[in-house]
Amino acid sequence: MTLGQRIRESIIGRSIWRATDRTTERDQAAGHWANFFLHIYPVKVRRKEITFRYSWYLGVASLVLFGSLLVSGIYLMFFYVPSPAQAYGDILNLQTRVAFGQYIRNVHRWSAHLMVLVVAAHMARVFYRGAYKKPREFNWGVGVILLVLTLLLSFTGYLLPWDQLAYWAVTVGTEMAAFVPLIGDTVKEMMLGGPVVASSTLLRFYVLHVAVLPTAVVLLITIHLWRWRKDSMLDAAKEGVDVDA
Amino acid sequence: MSTPRPDQENPEIIAGQRVLGVVPGKPPGGDRKVLSEQEPVMVWPHLLVRHAVAALVVIAVVLVLAIFFDAPLREIANPTLTPNPEKAPWYFAALQELLALFHPLVAGVLVPGAIVLGLFALPYVDRTSTIEPRFRKVAVATFTIFMVVWIILTIIGFAFRGPNWGWVWPWQEWYGEL
Repeated sequence: MTLGQRIRESIIGRSIWRATDRTTERDQAAGHWANFFLHIYPVKVRRKEITFRYSWYLGVASLVLFGSLLVSGIYLMFFYVPSPAQAYGDILNLQTRVAFGQYIRNVHRWSAHLMVLVVAAHMARVFYRGAYKKPREFNWGVGVILLVLTLLLSFTGYLLPWDQLAYWAVTVGTEMAAFVPLIGDTVKEMMLGGPVVASSTLLRFYVLHVAVLPTAVVLLITIHLWRWRKDSMLDAAKEGVDVDA
Repeated sequence: MSTPRPDQENPEIIAGQRVLGVVPGKPPGGDRKVLSEQEPVMVWPHLLVRHAVAALVVIAVVLVLAIFFDAPLREIANPTLTPNPEKAPWYFAALQELLALFHPLVAGVLVPGAIVLGLFALPYVDRTSTIEPRFRKVAVATFTIFMVVWIILTIIGFAFRGPNWGWVWPWQEWYGEL
């Protein structure tokens, strides 16, 4: 008996894993189905779907980058106050006095840039594979929203260091919103919390960046993966597949 | 001299056993099963192991990049000092480049709106069931042209634009910033 089996056979192990002997494929499938962490995955997928050539693993790469952003972002939140008086000084402080501050900031920034690239590449790969077709139209739409949210997350985060790069990049970005006919100026003022980028803008972007948008992304990723699991054994090439089957 | 096969005159000795003969025909279990691409496999371990490796590679790339390239920090924001050029982040560089070429209503509103709506509409417009690229040339060509144009605009806006949005080669002076 291996150590793993011994742990599983103990009183505590049995309370965690319940069933201990998963020998047949049917048992393993049942175990997979009952596992909290694995339940976002399908039990089985078609053989071609596990190859690198099929997906380039871009979906899982985006998910990992998002996870990296959550972890590094929460660390950064401990040392940051979203006000023009403090923000810039907090970043300087983070880079010089906080343990691993500069490094975690680098991780956060690189994860964000890579996530934009990887999410866009994921969309392109799904397109060329034709995986947006029936019965996966809905999940394609969820993916489009996730792409837009990824861009918005990057954009709202861009302002937070409150340096020249941030300030003027966001000025350029929000000026575009003003060109929307009729409601443009209203939209711009809603984003900025006033006529120009100021303290209310920083607070709005911060709340969007650390609360609103991440929550929306987590929710949509959950739906995205759940639909992927539901659709995993359906073949997009076959017309008339019953989605509810 | 090659080793004689069991069905030849000299029986081969395998692990102390003497093969007396070979029965012609298929084995009782049938031929070895050749798995097709459509064959289902268990996600654990086949897919999960691959995903774990992919995740480790991604994490390694991020951790190494973060060692060698520091996130930039310019001087503190100054509303009275406008840099020239004023650049949007690189993922909006294509939009900013369009702004320099077309009316703001076209570049800032119609084009991005059309892109997002077009992406949403794609599966409802392209109703064919075939997924092979050679049978859906129109869709593939449209998407590819869009992607190429977008990438070129991004590179121009990010790397080749200087003061007053004029053309500057990256080796003359560098105005691109992540």
